[in-house]
Amino acid sequence: MQVCANHPYKFMRFTPSSKFLGFSNRFHTLIAPSSSPTSKFSSSIVATMSTVSTQNDTFVHTTHQPLQIAKRLEKFQTTIFTQMSSLASKHGAINLGQGFPNFDGPEFVKEAAIQAIRDGKNQYARGYGVPDLNIAIAERFKKDTGLLVDPEKEVTVTSGCTEAIAATMLGLINPGDEVILFAPFYDSYEATLSMAGAKVKCITLRPPDFAVPIEELKSSVSKNTRAILINTPHNPTGKMFTREELNCIASLCIENDILVFADEVYDKLAFDMEHISMASLPGMFERTVTMNSLGKTFSLTGWKIGWAIAPPHLSWGVRQAHAFLTFATAHPFQCAAAVALRAPDSYYVDLKEDYLAKRAILVEGLKAVGFKVFPSSGTYFVVVDHTPFGLENDVAFCEYLVKEVGVVAIPTSVFYLNPEEGKNLVRFTFCKDEETIRSAVERMKEKLKK
Amino acid sequence: MEGKLSHAAKKITLSSIQELSHLAQRCNAINLAEGFPDFPAPPHIKNAAVSAINSDLNQYRHVQGVCDLLAKAVKEMHGLDIDPLTDVAICCGQSEAFAAAIFATIDPGDEVILFDPSYETYEGCVALAGGVPIHVPLDPPQWTLDTSKLLRSFTERTKVVVLNSPHNPTGKVFTKEELEIIAGECCRRNCLAITDEVYEHITYDSLKHLSLASFPGMQERTVITSSLSKSFSVTGWRVGWAIAPAVLASAIQNIHARVTDCAPAPFQEAALTALRSPPEYFESLRRDYQSKRDYIVKLLAGVGFKIEFIPQGSFFLFAELPDNWSLSDVEFVKKLILEAGVVAVPGQGFFHTDLSSNEVSKINCHYQKRYVRFAFCKSDATLTMVAERLSKLLDEQEHLALH
Repeated sequence: MQVCANHPYKFMRFTPSSKFLGFSNRFHTLIAPSSSPTSKFSSSIVATMSTVSTQNDTFVHTTHQPLQIAKRLEKFQTTIFTQMSSLASKHGAINLGQGFPNFDGPEFVKEAAIQAIRDGKNQYARGYGVPDLNIAIAERFKKDTGLLVDPEKEVTVTSGCTEAIAATMLGLINPGDEVILFAPFYDSYEATLSMAGAKVKCITLRPPDFAVPIEELKSSVSKNTRAILINTPHNPTGKMFTREELNCIASLCIENDILVFADEVYDKLAFDMEHISMASLPGMFERTVTMNSLGKTFSLTGWKIGWAIAPPHLSWGVRQAHAFLTFATAHPFQCAAAVALRAPDSYYVDLKEDYLAKRAILVEGLKAVGFKVFPSSGTYFVVVDHTPFGLENDVAFCEYLVKEVGVVAIPTSVFYLNPEEGKNLVRFTFCKDEETIRSAVERMKEKLKK
Repeated sequence: MEGKLSHAAKKITLSSIQELSHLAQRCNAINLAEGFPDFPAPPHIKNAAVSAINSDLNQYRHVQGVCDLLAKAVKEMHGLDIDPLTDVAICCGQSEAFAAAIFATIDPGDEVILFDPSYETYEGCVALAGGVPIHVPLDPPQWTLDTSKLLRSFTERTKVVVLNSPHNPTGKVFTKEELEIIAGECCRRNCLAITDEVYEHITYDSLKHLSLASFPGMQERTVITSSLSKSFSVTGWRVGWAIAPAVLASAIQNIHARVTDCAPAPFQEAALTALRSPPEYFESLRRDYQSKRDYIVKLLAGVGFKIEFIPQGSFFLFAELPDNWSLSDVEFVKKLILEAGVVAVPGQGFFHTDLSSNEVSKINCHYQKRYVRFAFCKSDATLTMVAERLSKLLDEQEHLALH
């Protein structure tokens, strides 16, 4: 399929970007019914979804349209992942795009879930979490950060970290509040911020080290800034926020009375440096929501067990929103999560070792193939510069990679407010068994030529 | 730092029904408050979930088979033709399906019509999305729909009508005539409808649950929400869905994907088994619940409650305190916990007086503090124990002496 030079997103059936194709924003909300057998709702929904964002807010609200969708849906499109996944199956490609493992979680956790089902834990769990899980989360947090939190007042269980993010935004952000985001970012951030009516201010992290541009950050703080959202270890770059960076952000927040929303789902996949929780910095616990989940650490991404840890007054807001988003979280999996979080240190040591080995295979492979590989200190993602291969942008490269080479990667432009900023980068994941990673590398060595 | 809370969060309070559940636990009281069964979930469905976990179906998933089975079900039950590829969004419970539907359709300032009394969550959800809830009171004691009240509540800002049938807390099943009226208004005013049909399989006396979407002109403007929870006694699994025309379903799916990514994967798998349950399963569900209904109605009527409306569906009894019992619903529930060790829900939490409405006088509102909701989705042993505990508190007329 020809990819038209001026319309890099043309092959995406469902998400024409008004920015690139000149349609009014209104068109976004009318998603063309698909006549193709490929379902919009792919059978493998991936962990990290993203949107093609728009910057023109010219949406016209007309009343009395029977199928009038809310304005906020401009930010809620079907995603490149759905498209890539279906392309992948069509071409039999090895999928290093999806951010979830192709191996399963540990037996002892699965058994705990099965036991819970048999023991009848199949009815509503307490809205903000099964008491024992809240306790286990608090215990784990104490081990990780040294901070003592009250499981009853400061821990809220949600359907995955994604819901923790949504509940935090809706519970703590008012329409018009400014929220600072670092690009590239996990796409649900932008989407849920728009649900809350926030104004997004974006700071771009740039290769090779994706360091936080402190001066730029300082100048984007205004009197309307309500919160800064950080994701460390960072998806998609694998960057980990350093102590210096966190200290700078902390001072800014304390000076200007700003909250921090910290997405730390990959905290157990911290390889090259120690993971630091913002909440553990002096003066920061009282203004930080720390979010995490079971899925990445225990390779059970489909169970949807996440949580938010925050001081009581902030937790209260999170709980309000959570009560109306999902009301309660899957009961048997909460019971199993409590068991999981009490895993011995050896589990975490082995987890890191396994992923380090996988990372080595992928990184060495990508270098050998000819990519410019940026160091990834954490998560199970690596971003690389694809330009040595002569494709004009990340989307074109990924398309080529799927069809001609048989490997899936994710174009990172979807993680930026301004897609132009990501056009040289693509993201690979190594949360796959070693055999799969090796095969993908072999295919690329064979078929990907400069 | 209370100033850090959003306006929306400040307006809403945590689930008082859940709080009553916790009180029940702490006092070792019998929980007839929260609407979940205390008997086990059906074995064939639990086995399916266990099997899914063991088969490594534990990563993010969308199980298309669930959509296919739902398409079959709405065709059989309501004669609706839907496309399972585009018209269904699987969500974390009906709760999330409803929230996503609200966020998909409501802009700040849009009005949403709700029928009073109503389940506490709808209003909170609408408020969270910046919508304005407008309550249309159903008339006691039969909870009939007053057409003129409905007509008067529409404005040019009305965007959505929410319909919960079978109805929580009253147990009312909206009649064909009432649904025709509601459908007629929705079409005339070009409004959307969002239905909550979680009790769709729990109807009594051979009454059939009718979906608003099956009425003329309605399929194209209705979001049906429902779930596994009540039909299969798995309220803690969080598998629900929204069925709507493709544009709406897609919008709902897109919101859901950013709020939770997907419903718990192994339970989606188990849903395949649940949704293939034979007609006998649903018949026996209905029979069991009907006998529990009859038991509790007889019991509570026998001890003095005024029960002018027998539940037609759902597993709730909305019982009225007789006039000579001077306690309010809240005071009564407190006494019931302390003296009988039984927890129920004071009805006033389900009523919402629109302060802007001039016609609602204090007298008219009085009934709002006279109802208590009892959940009878409990084992026969539990219900028998309730009878025993109440029997210890009867006066010479065999009526409850708590007042």
